[in-house]
Amino acid sequence: MSVLTMTAAVIVTFNRSAKLMKVLDALAAQTMRPDIVLVVDNASTDDTAALVQARAQADPTIRHLRLPENIGGAGGFHAGIKAAYQLGAQYFWVSDDDAYPQPDAIGALHDALMGFQTQTGWRPSFACSRVEWIDGSLCEMNCPRPVWDWARFVQPGQAWALVDSASFVSVMIPRWAVTEHGLPIADYFIWFDDAEYTRRIARSYPGIFVPESVVTHDTPDNKGVNFALVDDKTLWKFRYGARNETSFRRREAGMLSVLAYAYGVRRQMRGGGVARPLRRAIYRAILKGYSFRPAIERVT
Amino acid sequence: MSELASQKPADPALAAHVAASIAEARGIYRTLFPTRRLHFVLSMGHDPVWARPEVTEGPHLPRPQDLGADYLGTITCPGPHPDAPEVTIRLAIPRPPTPGELRQTDAPWRPIRRLDWLFRASPLAYEQMRYGAEMLRKRRADRRADRVARPLGRGSALIGTPRPPASDKRPAILIGMHWLEMGGAEKLGFDTVRWALAAGLRVFVVASIPSIQRLADRLPDHPDVTFIRLDRYLPHALWPRYVERLALAENIRAVHIHHCTPLYDSLPMLRMHLPWVQTIDSTHIIEYANGGYPRISGVWSNYLDMQHVISRELVDYMQGTFHAPAGQVVLGRMLDRDDTAASLPPLRLTAGQKTLHVSFIGRLYYQKRPVVVVECLRALDAWATRNGVTLSATIVGEGPFEATLVALLRRHGLSGKVAMLPGKTDIPALLGRSDILLLPSSNEGLALVCYEAVAHGCIPISTRVGSQDEVLPEGLLVPLAPRATIGQTVAAVDAMWRDADLLARHKDGLQQAWARLSADPTAEEVLTPVYRRIAEGGGA
Repeated sequence: MSVLTMTAAVIVTFNRSAKLMKVLDALAAQTMRPDIVLVVDNASTDDTAALVQARAQADPTIRHLRLPENIGGAGGFHAGIKAAYQLGAQYFWVSDDDAYPQPDAIGALHDALMGFQTQTGWRPSFACSRVEWIDGSLCEMNCPRPVWDWARFVQPGQAWALVDSASFVSVMIPRWAVTEHGLPIADYFIWFDDAEYTRRIARSYPGIFVPESVVTHDTPDNKGVNFALVDDKTLWKFRYGARNETSFRRREAGMLSVLAYAYGVRRQMRGGGVARPLRRAIYRAILKGYSFRPAIERVT
Repeated sequence: MSELASQKPADPALAAHVAASIAEARGIYRTLFPTRRLHFVLSMGHDPVWARPEVTEGPHLPRPQDLGADYLGTITCPGPHPDAPEVTIRLAIPRPPTPGELRQTDAPWRPIRRLDWLFRASPLAYEQMRYGAEMLRKRRADRRADRVARPLGRGSALIGTPRPPASDKRPAILIGMHWLEMGGAEKLGFDTVRWALAAGLRVFVVASIPSIQRLADRLPDHPDVTFIRLDRYLPHALWPRYVERLALAENIRAVHIHHCTPLYDSLPMLRMHLPWVQTIDSTHIIEYANGGYPRISGVWSNYLDMQHVISRELVDYMQGTFHAPAGQVVLGRMLDRDDTAASLPPLRLTAGQKTLHVSFIGRLYYQKRPVVVVECLRALDAWATRNGVTLSATIVGEGPFEATLVALLRRHGLSGKVAMLPGKTDIPALLGRSDILLLPSSNEGLALVCYEAVAHGCIPISTRVGSQDEVLPEGLLVPLAPRATIGQTVAAVDAMWRDADLLARHKDGLQQAWARLSADPTAEEVLTPVYRRIAEGGGA
């Protein structure tokens, strides 16, 4: 908690200019507007650059950070949080280019971070929103993970459950957490970068789930991350996910945790009837993840 | 459009915390630089205890690092005249501590990385290795030549000495403590604040180590007691100048040092500029690494008017090593005169008894060797099982070893037999139901808890360190090497349990030692008259 409240929104985008513009509209309509809206453009080939630059002419809070190549969502969040840190932000609101925050979503996250510390004395490492799909149901892929004593401070009107893992869809991270724990791992490229990062910063103290802060995640369908869903089209993402989570588990808990993970993945794929060649590709990714040891970059 | 996040009003509680911190710092620097224009460059700190002060005397050119992300602003306090020279003070306002930090600031203890495997395999082997390293360090430290008292020239009568200025304020004392946390030296520090206040002195308290200062609320709530947070806001290099200013402004007539290094560093200034200020220190434990505070006190012997010590070992150390005058080194036990020999209850342990309650009381830091405590309990549990005795135990204390102890107790299957209690536990009540008190410390002065144990009918067993032989008879002192500590502790318990005559002799020895200690003057008895003389305008 700080008396300084400068806030930067970090939005990573790639070739989704129409949705991105809706996100920028939603940010402009916030009851507590970010001081900086940092659009991290993963070398989009559509009209993203032109549209963002045009908006930036009218709205001085918008900054366009165009990366020379597509380094994935993980690389984008890494670059965006790093840039926002260097710009002096005290809070980083991190989200996707297809998630539209309701007008009080960012203000509610900020109030919850402040209110939680005032009432309990503890410093949450992040605050995350309730992420809904376009029909108002819970977005399956963005459900945060509670800690065992998640209900410790939950009370009527302030149902802030303790969580230790959340997705980069409307999550607010205080500056101290970045100072102490470094940046997200860019080398993950995509998937599990958010889970790894929030679990890492939650070592200081868990984050909080803030149900009064709501965003709408405009994904094509509402599916969770389950290896039963691996198919030819999504295999590339699942391979990154398997590699990254294996790497994380080896780092945090060693071989037994990796074996437990591999067993769980196997059960999910067999249960979902995933084709053998696809399963083999996932196993290869797990093997690769065991020796994949990306460095964690610290901020200065 | 709505407001930007940075324009949101600050949380009122946090704003009040920042305002209070600024007021504390302003007070300190106004005392230190009464004739200067003060220019504060403030930022929001990430540390709950330390403001990282930087002081620049003379013109200051702002640099980029003065205006980082955590920059709060600047405050200028005018000097007494428009062209007063400028002093710039950079401060990072400490953030409020979290509940976890309020409870325990130190990170949980871990074995050194390269020997992690050894601790996992055998905690006792690890302790034995650490003990070996410690003894090696002691042998090397003993060869150092810095055990010589610094000479102090008294000056010549041809040249006048400074005289105290007239003051309309009542005499005051500055009491410097290591920190306001749990500890024996700190207990004495708090006691001296009360005694000085009762003697009629105004009392200013400072601490040298930046800390939460958890026990600050134990200072008397009295208008004549002021706790100044130099630990948080003033670099050590500026302490002597601050002490000089404070002494002149507040009519400070004495400085009492309790393990407060920057006040020792202020002694040359006091002797040169304020020679009328009486200098007193209190010391407790000679430490292995470099002698600790008694060595520092010894080095400054000639600058001190009174060296208060709590054991005969320290009297000998000051007089033998540093040639301090006999009248300057004063023994005053850390005991309460209320405990009279007549009220001593019988010691509880009896030969052949079928239950045994063992206690350990102490901060869970390496000095107390908490790992050895657990290994002792493990060995005693095995002994108790062999002899049909029901063992139970209590460990009282907090500190970085807490998590390690919990894990070790679980590993040895002792979780159900050993209760772990916080430091605020009712110690007299616990000692009143304990048979044995363990104190396998690597170092002690004269552990007050052993004295308290005897006063409550509990038999202490301690390592042969410091002046423990003044309170314990031979058979209850065990060697320092961890394996020998454990073996001899079990042997001592076994011998008392089997041999009623031996037990009676030990009890007799304890009671005699207790009576001998009780006959010595207490710290209160030696310090209070000094404080009274100072309050009346006399010297130490």
